[in-house]
Amino acid sequence: MAIYLVVFVALAMALAYGKTRAAPDLDPAIERIFPTAGSIELSRGVYSVLDEGGEPVGWAAMGKANGYGGPLMLVVGVDLEGEVAGVEVVEHRETPIFFRMVRSAAYFEEVAGSDFHEVEYDYEAVVGVTGATRTSDAIVASLRSAVAEVADDQFDVRLPAPPRSFEFGLLEIVVLALFAAGIAAHRAGGSVRRWVRWACQLTGLMIIGFWAASPISLAKITSLLSGYFPDIYSNLAFYFLIIGLVITTLLHRRNIYCLYVCPFGAAQRCVGVIGGMNLKLSARVGRVLESSRNVVVFAAIFAAFITLQPALASYEPFAALFALTGSTLQWGLLFIVLTLSLVVRTPWCGFLCPLRSIEIVLRNVGAWGRGVLPGRKEGARG
Amino acid sequence: MQIFNSGFFWFVEGILFCLVLVGFRAWAQGRGIPLPAWKWATLLLWMLLAGFTIAFVGTSLGENEATAAMRGGLLFGLITVIAGVGLWRLLLTGAREA
Repeated sequence: MAIYLVVFVALAMALAYGKTRAAPDLDPAIERIFPTAGSIELSRGVYSVLDEGGEPVGWAAMGKANGYGGPLMLVVGVDLEGEVAGVEVVEHRETPIFFRMVRSAAYFEEVAGSDFHEVEYDYEAVVGVTGATRTSDAIVASLRSAVAEVADDQFDVRLPAPPRSFEFGLLEIVVLALFAAGIAAHRAGGSVRRWVRWACQLTGLMIIGFWAASPISLAKITSLLSGYFPDIYSNLAFYFLIIGLVITTLLHRRNIYCLYVCPFGAAQRCVGVIGGMNLKLSARVGRVLESSRNVVVFAAIFAAFITLQPALASYEPFAALFALTGSTLQWGLLFIVLTLSLVVRTPWCGFLCPLRSIEIVLRNVGAWGRGVLPGRKEGARG
Repeated sequence: MQIFNSGFFWFVEGILFCLVLVGFRAWAQGRGIPLPAWKWATLLLWMLLAGFTIAFVGTSLGENEATAAMRGGLLFGLITVIAGVGLWRLLLTGAREA
């Protein structure tokens, strides 16, 4: 318990330090949008931009929305005719490679020059492609809120609020079905469990992996722990996955996500079948690798908290496999892990996956809770 | 990389390629491993895949696209390695009991 306390205090201090960092200065971004700006005055959330002679040249407002790794902030400038003069991102916590991908699509350049009534908030419709849904959603939401702010304050126009409805589709249905099937199969045991596990994992590989590219990652967990909650309307599946992971580990005493749902675990098992060797490392090597994994996970979360950049914690190679994008480290890890999977049983799950460390914490918390709660002593089931 | 443009290199490469195939055939016969047409076809497909991987890395490097060479090499290399292991196990099927 002492080690948990030390880790908890260290992470809490790192997060507190990260949260105390100063808010970004918007003036440089506003000056890039309005190169003739001489002075900038803030009133009721809207910046009035004046030239050297004190004449108004436009207005600017900040928009903010949660993306993949946390809040994404941008500044939108609107000129005196009500046209968007420019858009500048002032701060974001997205995975750099995804942000570059979204930014290179030139959405802001397409939006610039539009009348504020006619700004196109459908990212895909404007740029034709997307591969980073949460980042592009955050850009659109923050753009919309900034434009609405200027329209309301300076033009006395209330822009219609975006339609809000839960996105409940194939992905959400599959996630719920996989958890239900996993719990049922785990209770059933025997060959049923084996076959259902294969069916669930292959479904997860296809739908959660290759189709939606949205397995649970350390960056998403760190983002939640940092207090950045992605929009629940468009991220129901993400919440289902997180709640399923926590609830089944705490109450069911089995991590159903890793056993039945995780697409990367399925990929390793498939490669393992092709390799057909299934070697097991010695217990000593296993212990060393597991300890190393805990240290890596702690370091990744610590770095993400202290810099308040949850995406920094993302060292998993999921994006490289499922979205064919990622850093050099992630591509290298993907190669090593899947090649190793030919001879060693699910090496990522055993020795590298951060969820395993989190699962151990959850299981210990669950055991502690069962010991503390009256009538729920550990081992009372038998 | 002038050597890759020389006829001599490709002449030697062709000889080595044929030697590898002939050697593999002899090795398989020695162990009683049947080599029907579908195994040869699969082997040739895998060789095409491996050749494509090497060509991808080589041409990317030639175009000074080091990142593309590395990432493409890792991805196609991974597919080649996994397919190679699977193919190897397939090739060994039907071996005569000693």
